[in-house]
Amino acid sequence: MKSNLVRVLDGNIFVLSENNGDIEAAVANVCGFFDFDTRFLSLWRLRLNGDRLNPLSIAERDYFTLRFFLVPGEPTHYVDAKASVIRERSITGGVFEERLTVLNHDRGPVDFTVRLDVASDFSPISLVGAEREPVGQLYRRVEDGGLRLGYRREKFQRETVISTSEPAAVDEDGLTYTVQVEGNGEWTTTLRVRALVLRPDGRDVREQLDRRPRRTTAEQREDLADWLARAPQLSCDWDAVTTTYQRSLVDLAALRYSPLTLPDETMPAAGLPWVATITGRDSILTSFQALPIASELAVATLRMLGIDQGAVLDDFRDEEPGKILREFRYSEMVAFEERPESPYYGSADVTPLYVVLLDEYERWTGDAALVRELEEEARAALNWIDQYGDILGDGYVRYRRRNTRTGPENQGWKDSPAAICYADGRLPEPPRATCELQGYAYDAKLRGARLAREFWGDPAYGERLEREAAALRERFERDFWIADRGYYALALDADGRQVDALASNMGHLLWSGIVDESRAAQVAAHLLGPRLFSGWGVRTLAEGQARYNPLGSHVGAVWPFDNALIAWGLRQYGFAEEAGRIAEGIIDAARHFHGRMPEAFAGYPRELTRYPVRYPTANSPQALATGATFLLLRALLGLDPAGEHLMMVPRVPARFGRVELLDVRGRWGQIDVIGSGLARLDGG
Amino acid sequence: MSDPITVFFERLAAGGCGRLLRKTGGTVRFELTGDDGLDLWHLTIAEGRVEVSREARDADAVIHTDRAFFLRMVRGEAKPLTAWLRNDIIAEGQFRFVVLLERLFAAPPPVTRQPRAVAGDGRERA
Repeated sequence: MKSNLVRVLDGNIFVLSENNGDIEAAVANVCGFFDFDTRFLSLWRLRLNGDRLNPLSIAERDYFTLRFFLVPGEPTHYVDAKASVIRERSITGGVFEERLTVLNHDRGPVDFTVRLDVASDFSPISLVGAEREPVGQLYRRVEDGGLRLGYRREKFQRETVISTSEPAAVDEDGLTYTVQVEGNGEWTTTLRVRALVLRPDGRDVREQLDRRPRRTTAEQREDLADWLARAPQLSCDWDAVTTTYQRSLVDLAALRYSPLTLPDETMPAAGLPWVATITGRDSILTSFQALPIASELAVATLRMLGIDQGAVLDDFRDEEPGKILREFRYSEMVAFEERPESPYYGSADVTPLYVVLLDEYERWTGDAALVRELEEEARAALNWIDQYGDILGDGYVRYRRRNTRTGPENQGWKDSPAAICYADGRLPEPPRATCELQGYAYDAKLRGARLAREFWGDPAYGERLEREAAALRERFERDFWIADRGYYALALDADGRQVDALASNMGHLLWSGIVDESRAAQVAAHLLGPRLFSGWGVRTLAEGQARYNPLGSHVGAVWPFDNALIAWGLRQYGFAEEAGRIAEGIIDAARHFHGRMPEAFAGYPRELTRYPVRYPTANSPQALATGATFLLLRALLGLDPAGEHLMMVPRVPARFGRVELLDVRGRWGQIDVIGSGLARLDGG
Repeated sequence: MSDPITVFFERLAAGGCGRLLRKTGGTVRFELTGDDGLDLWHLTIAEGRVEVSREARDADAVIHTDRAFFLRMVRGEAKPLTAWLRNDIIAEGQFRFVVLLERLFAAPPPVTRQPRAVAGDGRERA
């Protein structure tokens, strides 16, 4: 993944290009204009009098507009450029728009040839980094002074239509403008690139569906300003905190996504630019983390995932009744069932987390109506835990994919093939019961019990869920605890034996509340101990485990969202100082990324590298990482709804100084939270 | 033998709807093209009841396909969402009704397994 790519975006529409604005896609260079999980432009290359252009500067005003200032020629000889070019790019009304301006810096008139090479491969988004021969036919047509590129496979059809405000000589490979510009004058043309998802009658499928028109840049700008004005205001003596908070607010705004099914609501997409789609885990956990900031995200997430809740058994999609989806996609691979995301249901954690989010949302907002509206969905999710999640019938949630061709082997958040391992590096047989799944199931049952009693008028169901939760906890303590090492096994293997690697997963157990009080201190000591804690945060897998690799995504790297859940869990068990250390480390790391919380960074010891080593990830911003900022703040300030009130117990490390979070919204109305790292009277 | 499409709609009307339909209120018009012209079916869902009518009425969504493909969906051989992505069915109006089709045609695929039946099946890693 090249890191110097720049982009503009609106939901699942985005343009990713070189820093001179050009798109020259290749297997090793995944750029382009994308919409609806499809690449609509793979070549978009500008030349002035045959010369490539080089950037002098790029102005990134917001995430939907960009401006490139360019000069012709190689960097070595552009100093006395007699001409320059401004490329202004936006996504407006769902259209990729580019305004080209040629500036003549000579005193006399000059003739210019402006050439734009254009092509599209219509690659499905999941295949842009791979070699692929298109199955269908590509075509291109010059028409009405513009260019139409197309792809057809049976009745499946996509087109890119390029039009220009100024006349151009158009051929099948692009557009050429031959213009004369006055001395010290300028010339401008506006190109519009429309991505069409066609029906056989030539109309765009989306235009025939009821939804709001795509927003213009002006509307997007206004919406962003409203969003920022509505969010709680943070001030903190430590600049890194306010910078990260502001960045996270803007990033969360950019991540909002309106699915076709709920065109008037927004839920968080998992990551930009590559995962601007409906996902289960990322949307649920991000909505959970963002409850103090924007509780409406949880509403859309819960509704959308409820609508798509599994209804039948389907091996290809790893679907079961009541299961919450993992991911939905619109691409060609999905249309022709070469990929299962229509939707794909292969994750074992998302269904219990659905209930967790519903309950937590009500605790913050008091919105009983939504809890009643989604009663059947929540009951079906709770039922899934026992009927389909517990696949060995021994009371534990396990997973084993039925789609062995395209389904991930590991179906929790650590979904890389070697993520779940023994300390000596062996991989356990499926089905696997990872520890955090048991925590989520426990928490879901207890929260479900509260919902049953308080909102569904079914105390008997509530009692049953509580009994099951208590039995699960007892069983879990017996089977997962590794007494001689003082921590919980990462998983149980197919034979019920402990998978004994020391990993971050058990931090989630504190969040879920399944950990026995008497063992919590040992768990906390491991999480903050030298093997798991890098100095910046908790590693996914501890140093010393056979598969530990500081660059291994799930076997050594540090993930901010994982750390935020752990910090919140520690805080709930009274380990405020430990939670503070994690929050401080992660925010300190974000400082090195200009306040943008990275999806993950390397697990090297802090004293070795002195700065957090960026982990090569595709998405930035990533929703889970963005949300981590808010949950870390919640952990620091000890924010927890209690009845109609918001409990506040700030325990802030000295580094932070004074922290104020104003206008925190919830069932209490609005309230200000003030904490200070300087006056820790309790010595904590 | 009775027409399988008629049987399908009659069964929907008689069976009411499962929990996943209960929240949806509205009318879907199915326009099915066949050798002898266009068949219209209207499915109205209100408060958990399903009513089927062949008389023209306003609809919140229109689904257009041919009879042969519709039958494939009835038999569980084709999924509505991927069919929509391939243009094997055309949808207009509210997209949530396309998702709803997944519930109407909730026949499982011809070959599928219970998770518990797969759990002890051989050794995937071996």
